[in-house]
Amino acid sequence: MIPRLALCTLALLIVLPGGDTPLHTALLTAKQSYDQPVGAGRSPRNARYEIEVRLDHGARTLTGRETIRWRNISANPATEIQLHLYWNAWRNADSTWLRERRLGGGPAPRPDMFGSIDVTALRLRQESAASIDLLPGHRFIAPDDGNVLDRTVMAIPLPAPVAPLLDVVLDVEWKATIPRPFARTGWIDDYYFIAQWFPKVGVLEDEGWNTHQFHAATEFYADFGIYDVRITAPANFVVGGSGRPVERSPISGPSPDGTATHRFRGEDIHDFAWTASPRFLDLHRTFEHPTLPKVDIRLLLGAEHRHLEERYFKIVSDTLRLYGEWFGAYPYDHVTVVDPAYQSGSAGMEYPTLLTGRAAFLSPAGVQVPESTTAHEAGHQWWYGIVATNEFEHAWMDEGINTYATARVLNEVMKENYVERRYFGGFVPWVFRDIPVRRETDGNRLPTFRPAAKQDVPSTPTYRYWPPTASLITYNKTALWLNTLENMYGWPVMQRVLSTYFERWKFRHPAPDDFFQIVNEVTGQDMAWFFDQVYRSSNTFDYAVQDFSSVTVRLKPDATSYRTTVVAQRLGEATFPVEVVTTFRNGEKVTEQWDGKDRRATWVYDTAAQAVSVAVDPRRVLLLDVNYTNNSRALAPRGEEAGLKWALKWMMWMQDLMLTYGFFV
Amino acid sequence: MAQPPSPVAQSFRIALTAYRDGFRRVLSAPAVLCGVFVLTFLLAVPLALTMRGMLEEHLGRSLEANTQADGVNYDWWQEFAGQASGQTSGLATTFTPSVIGFAPVLDNISAIFDGQGEVVPVTAALATYLLGWVFLFGGIVDRYARQRSTRAHAFFSASGVYFFRFLRLAIVAGAAYWLLFTYVHDWLFADVYADINRNLGVERTAMAWRFGLYAVFALLLAAANLVFDYAKVRAVVEDRRSMLGALVASVAFIRLHPGRVVGLYLANALLFLVLVAVWALVAPGAGGTGASMWLAFIGGQLYLLARLVLKLQFIASQTALFQHSLAHAGYVAAPAVAWPDAPIVEGMGAP
Repeated sequence: MIPRLALCTLALLIVLPGGDTPLHTALLTAKQSYDQPVGAGRSPRNARYEIEVRLDHGARTLTGRETIRWRNISANPATEIQLHLYWNAWRNADSTWLRERRLGGGPAPRPDMFGSIDVTALRLRQESAASIDLLPGHRFIAPDDGNVLDRTVMAIPLPAPVAPLLDVVLDVEWKATIPRPFARTGWIDDYYFIAQWFPKVGVLEDEGWNTHQFHAATEFYADFGIYDVRITAPANFVVGGSGRPVERSPISGPSPDGTATHRFRGEDIHDFAWTASPRFLDLHRTFEHPTLPKVDIRLLLGAEHRHLEERYFKIVSDTLRLYGEWFGAYPYDHVTVVDPAYQSGSAGMEYPTLLTGRAAFLSPAGVQVPESTTAHEAGHQWWYGIVATNEFEHAWMDEGINTYATARVLNEVMKENYVERRYFGGFVPWVFRDIPVRRETDGNRLPTFRPAAKQDVPSTPTYRYWPPTASLITYNKTALWLNTLENMYGWPVMQRVLSTYFERWKFRHPAPDDFFQIVNEVTGQDMAWFFDQVYRSSNTFDYAVQDFSSVTVRLKPDATSYRTTVVAQRLGEATFPVEVVTTFRNGEKVTEQWDGKDRRATWVYDTAAQAVSVAVDPRRVLLLDVNYTNNSRALAPRGEEAGLKWALKWMMWMQDLMLTYGFFV
Repeated sequence: MAQPPSPVAQSFRIALTAYRDGFRRVLSAPAVLCGVFVLTFLLAVPLALTMRGMLEEHLGRSLEANTQADGVNYDWWQEFAGQASGQTSGLATTFTPSVIGFAPVLDNISAIFDGQGEVVPVTAALATYLLGWVFLFGGIVDRYARQRSTRAHAFFSASGVYFFRFLRLAIVAGAAYWLLFTYVHDWLFADVYADINRNLGVERTAMAWRFGLYAVFALLLAAANLVFDYAKVRAVVEDRRSMLGALVASVAFIRLHPGRVVGLYLANALLFLVLVAVWALVAPGAGGTGASMWLAFIGGQLYLLARLVLKLQFIASQTALFQHSLAHAGYVAAPAVAWPDAPIVEGMGAP
């Protein structure tokens, strides 16, 4: 450990003073030793950006310059700076992002889809001397896969190391070509969604730089800071961004060159995204609650979705309310919700204090569009925005937790929530009012998890997952095991787990063990056995009834008894304690607690009443069971009835199909 | 002196007459309706039994069957879909919520307009069904053209007489539809629509374009359908042996009477839309088992019966329209076919 005095002395020698001074300086066990709020802020604010950017609508380009004031909050000196240049993921077809997308069967991009970012100037500011041009020393690195054609991470050696707790100030200029939509970024028609668009500092941890290349199946990781951003765009464009709108210049109408500059300021956030379109309706509401702070909701709504205004506002308000009550108050006084343009590729994405929903022109009541996606992205303000996990490595910590929590929100607020299918090119919806959406299974996405259950071990860094199925592990598996924990301990305990986690880790970067530790702490149990299976393994759970019979036996000469034999079986490699419930004709139930570790367990009952059915885990505590149909057996099964009913339905579908094709003769 | 009716009014009047006459001819031949209904029913049964077997096998003795019997157990359904999706026949993949209520109508029409294929067993059943119609069509048109009972042996004799002619026509029709679906559909939706859509940021506009192109494609299908329908009518009424000649004659007839031909087709199409709209309102949902299940099934069969009436009404009214344009409205060139009509068959029957 370097003595603090020595650190400060070293820092004074080599770096500019600046930024807020940390109040707490004790070394922590976190991955960034000086990860503590500064001044009046809630976060370390160690990555501060002042950005000016101009959108050239005709040329589809951005020209920007920024001042980055970055403070080293790791335990070690920084000898270089690493910058994300995310848009170079679409600079050529051999970027890591596009290679990974091809693995997932994604189409090759057309030539006019590409985008790129080029840093044109990069200088280290010095207080008492001319700034130093750092650009000549830059190089592109590929820490994840060594792909020399990937230019999404730039490393710039510093003339002198930057000691912990001290700042550097960089002045950066760049030009960028806006891509056609990729990964929630780009343009279509006169709509722009601009994300991951500026040269952005990676995260320096005690172990070194954590600056991953841009990957197709993962998202982002950044330090908290203050963003002061000026966006110049055509004056008729409505512009929305992270942070709070501060001013427009000129106040109304265009400047002589036909543009207007919009300034946004966001504090204690770790990213900044923005959008611009002349077709937005700029709508406002205030979220109010007896115990939670007020929040200004700004909705940038596409004119064609005017009829969805109420639904958008309601679901955002509901999410602010429920997440606020369950996990902790939303700490900002504003949020911007963007209704993305059709085919913009920007639907369903979260950025600090800004999110995009997903809507369809035909969105009948009773289905989850736009509610589902909007609630999910609003929820990300907690799980990603405030509790800022490393999405490159532990995507489950935001996506999984948030999928689970979103399902709870939708279950609470959507009294009518049915399965929907879309026909005629996906434009015409049909609502199946016979099929309600179930939170535990549909909400946590069990059906799509099932076939991918063994694809990856969740503890593998997410960027190394198999790209086509990565989301099925990060979102679905996590949500299912979180809901399983809820089923084990009840919602009050689970709510306390998540609120404790939120309170302890807001404005910081927790790692998986930090979450597990809180689960152990709140439940009072060592849950290592559980996390070993759901997090550190790709083993599947599958319990079944192997045998079930209930036959007459004459145990006493004057009475008929029944001997019931139940054999439960573990087919999967993973183990979980389950209940085995046998139901008898007189209504009695016998419940056995099975630790589920052996391959099978047998119970024999001699009773006066015949057994009618047996079920393993009938309350469906274990939501990760990949085959639930084999969990139960009945002596008088109704499979034939069900089979007949649905075969008749299917037959009518078939007859209708034949008649439809009959048109051609 | 009264003014002669305008050509439009005259076309309308003739089309309306043919429309009514078509219904009269369909309803006066219930055996024909029963026959095509039986065909539509029986050809669906084997696959329905296969599907039933698959469902029962998957449900086994599980308690999951209870909720699937009483309503919908969507958790089970999705588990079945996931586990059965790897089956080679692919039949299980057709068991989706689209089998419930009105959804089959949307699903099937949408699949055609979006150029989606069907799995092999379903395609085989469809091919058999269409072949069945090709066989029956000669008898059907003959019956409607003669406007009197021809009895089963004459009906099937006519079917046999025209089968190979209509099979040749079906090959031409198949080629025409294949061209439409392979090239025109591809051009409209994979090229034109994709190019337009690529730059659209407003869903409503994209939807308008897509439905516009659906309309264009539907018009092309309807035009082909009209030509092949009147070719069949002329082949039977005029006892034509050359199907290419029948096609040329069909086009000539349509060109000569475009107003009444299109008017009649639109009237029939409108009736189809009305029928579908009514079904959308009354189609039963998932329901349970027992009596309600059978009532729902019977309701569905009645709807299908109405669809068949409508299908027959198309051809019957078109036959009527063509015959109305002749000097003698009940004219049929060939004498009624009497079975057995081949000397060799009579010879076989001799002692």
